[in-house]
Amino acid sequence: METLAISLVKAVPVLSAVPLWTMTLFVMVAVAVVVLAFALTFEGVGSYMLRKVAGDIQARIGPNRVGPYGILQFLADGVKLILKEDIIPAKADRFLFKLAPYFVFVGSFAAFVVVPFGVGLIASDLNIGVYYVMAITSLVVIGVMLAGWASNNKWALLGGMRAAAQIVSYEVPVGMALMPAVLIAGSLSLQDIVRSQSGLFGVFGWNLFHNPFTFFSFLLYFTAAQAETNQTPFDLPEAESELVSGYNVEYSGIRFAMFFMAEFGDMFVVAALATACFLGGWNIPYFNAATLPPLWGNLLSLCVFLGKALAMVLLMMWVRWTLPRLRVDQLMRMAWKYLIPLTFFNLLGVSLWLLLFNGRGIPQMIAAVIGR
Amino acid sequence: MGLKAYVADIWDAVVTTAKGMRITASYGVNPKEEVTQQYPEERREPSERFRGFLHNDIKACTACTMCIKVCPVDCIALESVRGADKKMVLVSYDINIARCMYCGLCVEACPTKSLKHTSGYERASVNRGELILHFVEEDGNEIKARVARQVAAAAAKAAEAAKAAEAAKAEAEKSAGVPSSGTKAASPTPAGSPAPGNPGAVKAADVPKPAGAAATKEPETKG
Repeated sequence: METLAISLVKAVPVLSAVPLWTMTLFVMVAVAVVVLAFALTFEGVGSYMLRKVAGDIQARIGPNRVGPYGILQFLADGVKLILKEDIIPAKADRFLFKLAPYFVFVGSFAAFVVVPFGVGLIASDLNIGVYYVMAITSLVVIGVMLAGWASNNKWALLGGMRAAAQIVSYEVPVGMALMPAVLIAGSLSLQDIVRSQSGLFGVFGWNLFHNPFTFFSFLLYFTAAQAETNQTPFDLPEAESELVSGYNVEYSGIRFAMFFMAEFGDMFVVAALATACFLGGWNIPYFNAATLPPLWGNLLSLCVFLGKALAMVLLMMWVRWTLPRLRVDQLMRMAWKYLIPLTFFNLLGVSLWLLLFNGRGIPQMIAAVIGR
Repeated sequence: MGLKAYVADIWDAVVTTAKGMRITASYGVNPKEEVTQQYPEERREPSERFRGFLHNDIKACTACTMCIKVCPVDCIALESVRGADKKMVLVSYDINIARCMYCGLCVEACPTKSLKHTSGYERASVNRGELILHFVEEDGNEIKARVARQVAAAAAKAAEAAKAAEAAKAEAEKSAGVPSSGTKAASPTPAGSPAPGNPGAVKAADVPKPAGAAATKEPETKG
């Protein structure tokens, strides 16, 4: 942030009169607003996309009344949620009840900080990027449990407990499934991970094709992340047919909207992490994004990144509308008996591969054989 | 669980998921699969025997009250008066479609087939009163007054005719020249004229059925 502020001051000399910390603060707020605007936009577009995809898959049409093709439906929904009465149950723990949505939303939104949108488009390139995402998204589980507890409602409480069990269980395979990308890049920074996948026409450098273990790692990450964000085959915390709506059953109006937005934010963060760690991030096919002029490089890499991330979101929705919900015991068995051992052996496999082949992947070896 | 079963489990999960996703994708991509009908714009033609809202053709209705007697939810109410030609005249015929359950018994019971199911099914309203269908548009009191006038006119006509007949008879007797005072022929009761002032109006309203069916209105006073 400070570097950005300094460069801004250099570009516009008039600003040199302003103290640096003011500039830094200003830049911070501006960046936060931009990221928040993006997150909210995605949540709107994502909800429209989700409903349209659901409609198509279920041989329906989906929203088609508000605006052309129902594209403005999310605005109508948003306005409706804002106008609704904000009800707090009489027997609820008022303080915790009000606090819970903030935890959930912050946990989901704070992860956007390290999402590498483009060559230079990242709110903050933390050197602990992957770790930060894992840590900050754990805040969601606190919020969900608080919501379940403070609502003083048996369904909400059951949903909250389930969410806690599920998210804590699935955090382990998610972390271990992301490790191969970290091992290959030798860094936890998401920008470094994306940069490590450049080259080879910007496609074959992807970690997805690095070696068979990373390929499986991607699939395992995708499955586990789907569970960690409570997507449908694993949506036990809100299981409509069993728990009415789970932990958010007592929430209404804008507080409910915050849970709703957090869900879509999580969805995007998972898609963005999968893109950054396995699908080459913002690397543009054929061109080298880092050597293009800054404006074009950033713009193109942003488009490429968003395209990949939205494709991943689409894939998540596709899975979501295909599979029925698991039972609680099946969910836990899947985490502890299948995903955790598999991700563990996968991690072992990737480590051995990197040791044996000196960190080179299959495409690099093929390129070396072809002779370049 | 052996290793073989473990691997087979994983394989099963992957294969079945892929199969399911193939199916949902085929639904998602193929627009022909869409079954949604854009309702207000496109409407489905109801089938021939569709039991929509009831409609009574009041010109054909004889006010026999069979529909009222047979209705299990008491949603039909009618009021009628006896007309000059001894047939019942409808004063009002109301169907409460909020209460109607579309069983069709009234339609089966109707002897003149005047009561029928239509194909209509759209009548959302913000007011419960709008859900009571009135089939007699004319004001009930006007009908009653009109019928009473007709009845009175008919009665007067009949009385005149009877008087004329009596006069004719007396004349005939006179002309015969045989005064037979003992005969009953001169009795003033004319046969064939309706008893005036007793049109026998029947009201079958929205009250418990036996009482409603049996309730007989007070005869109207004739002017």
